[in-house]
Amino acid sequence: MKTSTPSADAPGNVVRIALTNALMLASLAGCSLLQPTRSPVAPPERTIPNPIPEAPKPSAAPATPPPAPAALPATPTAPPPPAREYHLNPATQSLVAQAHSQIARGELPGAATTLDRALRIEPQNPLLWIELARLRLTENDGRQAESCARKALALGGLDPQTRSKAGHALVDALRLLHREPEARELEAQPWMK
Amino acid sequence: MTTRSWLKAIPTPSTRLLLVITGIIGLSILGFIGWVIYLDRVITNEFQGRLWSVPARVYAAPLELYVGAPTTADDLDMELRRLHYQPGDPATGPGFFRRRNGDFELHARRVQFIDELRPATRITLHANAEGITGLSAADGSDVPVFRLDPLMVGSVFPIHGEDRIILTPAEVSPQLRAALKTIEDRRFDDHHGVDPRSIVRAVWANLRAGRIAQGGSTLTQQLVKNYFLNDAQTFGRKLKEAVMAMRLEARFSKEEILVAYINEVSLGQDGQRAIHGFGLGAEFYFGKPLSELDIGEQALLIGLVRGPSFYDPVRHPDRAKARRNLVLQELASTNVISEEEAKRASAKPLLVRSRGGGYFPAFMDLVRRHLKRDYAEADLSAAGLSIYTTLDPKAQSSAEQALSRGLARLNAARRDKSALLEGAVVVAEPQSGDVLAVVGGRDFGREEFNRALDARRSIGSLVKPAVYLSALETGRYTAASVLLDAPLELKLGDGTLWAPQNYTREEFGSVSMVHALAESMNLATVRMGLDVGVEHVADTLVKLGLDRRPALNPSLLLGAVEMTPLEVVQMYTALANGGFKARLHAVRAVLDDQGKPLKSFKVEVEAVASPELVYQVDRMMVQVTQRGTGRGVTAKLGSKILVPAKTGTSQDTRDSWFAGFTGSHLAVVWVGFDDNRSTGLTGALGALPIWADTLGSLRPSSWEPAPPPEVEERWIEFSTGLVTGPSCSNDAVIVAVPRGANLPTKPGCAAALMRAGIE
Repeated sequence: MKTSTPSADAPGNVVRIALTNALMLASLAGCSLLQPTRSPVAPPERTIPNPIPEAPKPSAAPATPPPAPAALPATPTAPPPPAREYHLNPATQSLVAQAHSQIARGELPGAATTLDRALRIEPQNPLLWIELARLRLTENDGRQAESCARKALALGGLDPQTRSKAGHALVDALRLLHREPEARELEAQPWMK
Repeated sequence: MTTRSWLKAIPTPSTRLLLVITGIIGLSILGFIGWVIYLDRVITNEFQGRLWSVPARVYAAPLELYVGAPTTADDLDMELRRLHYQPGDPATGPGFFRRRNGDFELHARRVQFIDELRPATRITLHANAEGITGLSAADGSDVPVFRLDPLMVGSVFPIHGEDRIILTPAEVSPQLRAALKTIEDRRFDDHHGVDPRSIVRAVWANLRAGRIAQGGSTLTQQLVKNYFLNDAQTFGRKLKEAVMAMRLEARFSKEEILVAYINEVSLGQDGQRAIHGFGLGAEFYFGKPLSELDIGEQALLIGLVRGPSFYDPVRHPDRAKARRNLVLQELASTNVISEEEAKRASAKPLLVRSRGGGYFPAFMDLVRRHLKRDYAEADLSAAGLSIYTTLDPKAQSSAEQALSRGLARLNAARRDKSALLEGAVVVAEPQSGDVLAVVGGRDFGREEFNRALDARRSIGSLVKPAVYLSALETGRYTAASVLLDAPLELKLGDGTLWAPQNYTREEFGSVSMVHALAESMNLATVRMGLDVGVEHVADTLVKLGLDRRPALNPSLLLGAVEMTPLEVVQMYTALANGGFKARLHAVRAVLDDQGKPLKSFKVEVEAVASPELVYQVDRMMVQVTQRGTGRGVTAKLGSKILVPAKTGTSQDTRDSWFAGFTGSHLAVVWVGFDDNRSTGLTGALGALPIWADTLGSLRPSSWEPAPPPEVEERWIEFSTGLVTGPSCSNDAVIVAVPRGANLPTKPGCAAALMRAGIE
C-alpha cells in the first residue's frame, strides 16, 4: 500500500484538474458557497513530504467524483482525495484463502489465527479488517464485527469498492445487534450500491 | 483396671522397670517409624510436585517471511543462528542451512505453531539488503509465506510466576554431569542418599582445620535442603535431611535426582528473585543457553553452588575467578577435562555476558500479568503448556540497546553521579495491540523494578494530543484556528493562584493551533483547554483507555496525571489507529500439551474517537517531528518518514517522555530518576534520542493512512494559520481540516493560489 508518494505526473494532474472542474460545476449548480479565491492544493513542488495519495491511473479513475458526505456542503475548496485501490499482497492473499477454507471446515479458531497472521503482515489493509469482520459475524460476535467493519471503513473509505464491502459487513453487524434503523439508514447511503 | 492395679499385677520391681523401658523403646521406635513415614510423604510429594510440574514454555512471535518482508539477508542469517540453525549442508537434516550471498537453503525443523504442527520442511529463500525477494519450495514452486520457528524465550510456572528454564535429561550434557559429581559428590552413583565415608572425611578435615571447611552433604542432601530453604545447622535438621535424602534415593532413580538437582540448585540472587537451576543460571550470567556454555563457563556455575553470594562473579570477581580455576583444576586432575583445556579456560576472563540471547524479564513480567488477566487459573496449572507471545525479539533487542546506550550517554554527561538515570521503553503494533517489546530499566537483563509497567509518573505534555482532540470535538476549533499564547493566572479551588508558564518562559502571542501543539506551548494549550473544559479532557483520557478518572484540576491540561509507560502506549493506540483503541496484549495463545488452544485468540478493537478528528490531530502531531519539539526524530529517521509524536516534560524536568508512532510501530520512552528528582532533561533531550534509536533499526514505515473522506488537507501558514501555499509562503505546512472548512486566506496569496490551481 505504498501509494502516497507525491505525484506530479501528467496523467495524475489531468485527472485532478478534471475532478476539480467537475466539483466546481457541481457546486455551481447546487451550492452558494462558491468562493473563487479557493484553489486546489497539491502544489507542484514540496519541501516536506505530502501524505496526499498518488492519483489513480486514468483507467481506474471514477467518471464522477465520489459524492461528498451528506453532512458537509460540497465546496470547490479542494479536489476530493483521489481514490485508492486496495489489494492483498501474495502472502496475505494466500493466508486469506487458507482462512476461508478453515471457515468452510468449521475451524473458526484456526481461521482467526490465520487472519491474525495476515494482519501482522498488512495491519492497515482494510480488506483484512473486512475479512475479520466477516469472521466475527460467523462467530456471532456482533460487537467485534461492528468494530472491525468500522475500522475497515475508516481505513478504506477512499476506495469505493472497499467502502461498500465494509459498509455491507457493518450492516450485517448492526442487524446481528438488533439495530435495524441504523442498518437501514446505512443501506440507503448512495455509496453502498 | 487402673494403672496402679495393673502394675501391682507384675510380680517384682525389676521386671516392672524392664517392662517400662521396653515400652518406652518400643514407643520410640514406633514414633521414629512414623516420623520417617511422615518425612517420606513430605519429600515425595515435594519432589513429585516439582518433577511433574513441567513449566510452560514461552515463545516469541515467529518471524514471517514473504516477498517484501523487511528482513534483510544479514537479518535472516542472524535470526537463523539465534534459532540455533547451523551452517552446513541442508541435506544433512533439519537444523542446517547454507547461505550464498543472498540465497539461503534451509532445512527447517518440525515445529508446533499456534495453528499447526509443521513437519520438517526444505525451502529456498532469497534476500537482499532491503528484504526478502523470493521463496521457493523444494520442487521449485513459489511459497507465498513462510514462518521461522518461534524463539523459545523462557519457561514459567504460570500460577506462581516463578520462571525457570527447566532442562530435560537429554539437555544435560554428560560433561556437566561428570563435572558436577566430581566437585560436589564423587560417590553419587554409589551411595544411598547419605555417604558415611564423606561425612567421616568431612568431620576429620574440620577437626584438623579447627573450623567447618568441608560439608559432607551428598547431592541428594543438598537437593532436599534446597527444597526447604532453611540454613539452620542443627542436628535435628541434619537428621531430617539425611532421612529424606535416603527416602528420595529409595523411591527415585539417580537420573531423576541429578536432573532435579540441576534444575533446582540455587546459583544466585537477582533482586527479589532467586536464580534456580543451571538453565536460568546460564541465561542470567552469560545470556545464552546452557548447551552453548564452554567448560570455563560451566565451571563458574558449578563453583557457585558452594556459595552463590560468596562467589558472586559480579560483586566478588576475584573470589569467583579463583573458585572457577580451582574447579577447572579438579576437573583436570580427575580427567573430566584435559590439562590443556583447564589451562585454556583458566586464562579466559570471568564473565562475558553476550546479550541478545533469549532472556527478557520485563517482557516476561507482562506475560505473567496478562496470563492472570485473560486465563483461568485452573487452566494454567496443567503441565506442559506452550505460551505464544507477541514478543518481537528484534524490536526487543533494539529497544534494550537503545535504552542502554542512551542512558549511558546521559549519565556520562551528568556531573552529579550520586544517582543514575533510569528509563523504560515499550514498543507495540498499534493496529492489533500486539506488545512487541518491553524494557523495564537500565540493567534490562536483571529482573527488578519494572518501570515500564509499574512506574507511574507525571506524563507532562504527552497529554496534549488528548486536549487538542477534545478541542476538535467541540467543533469550534480546527488545526488552523488561532490561539493566544499569553500569560494567565487562575484561582484554583483551594484558593491558590496558578500561573502556568511555557518551558522556555517565552510568550508566542497569536499562533496557529498546529504551531501551539508542535512547539508544545503551555499557555496557548491551557487557554484553549479551559475553553473546552477540563472535564471534557478527563473524559477523553478515559475514552482513550485510561482506567481511572484523573483529578479535575486545570493542571491536567499540562499533564498533571500519572501514568505508566505501558498505560501511555494503551492511550496512544487510539491515536495511532484512527480512533480505534486496540487492547494491548502480550499473549496470543496458550496451547496444552496436545497442541490444543486453551481459548481462541481475538484481536479486539473498539471505536473510541472519531476517525476524522483523530486524523486531524495526528496530522498536527506530524509537525511536532517536522518542525517542532520533536525535530530530532527527523534528523535521525529522515524527513521522508512521517512520524506523529509528542514530547513530554513534567514539572521541574522530573520526567522526560517521548511517544510517537510510524505506520508500523508505536513506541513510548520514559527517562527519569527513581527518586523523582529533577533530571534537567526535556523530552527532546532525554527520551527522544532513545526513541529514534529504537525505531531507527526497525525499518519503520511512514505514517500514511488514507485521509477519511470527511477531511481535506490544506496548506496553511505555520505561524498564522492562514491558508497559503509553498509558492506564497516559506512557512507553509500541511494540516487536515474538515472538508469544506471556511478558512481565511493569507492576504496577497489568493491570486497565487488560484494560478497554482489552474496551471
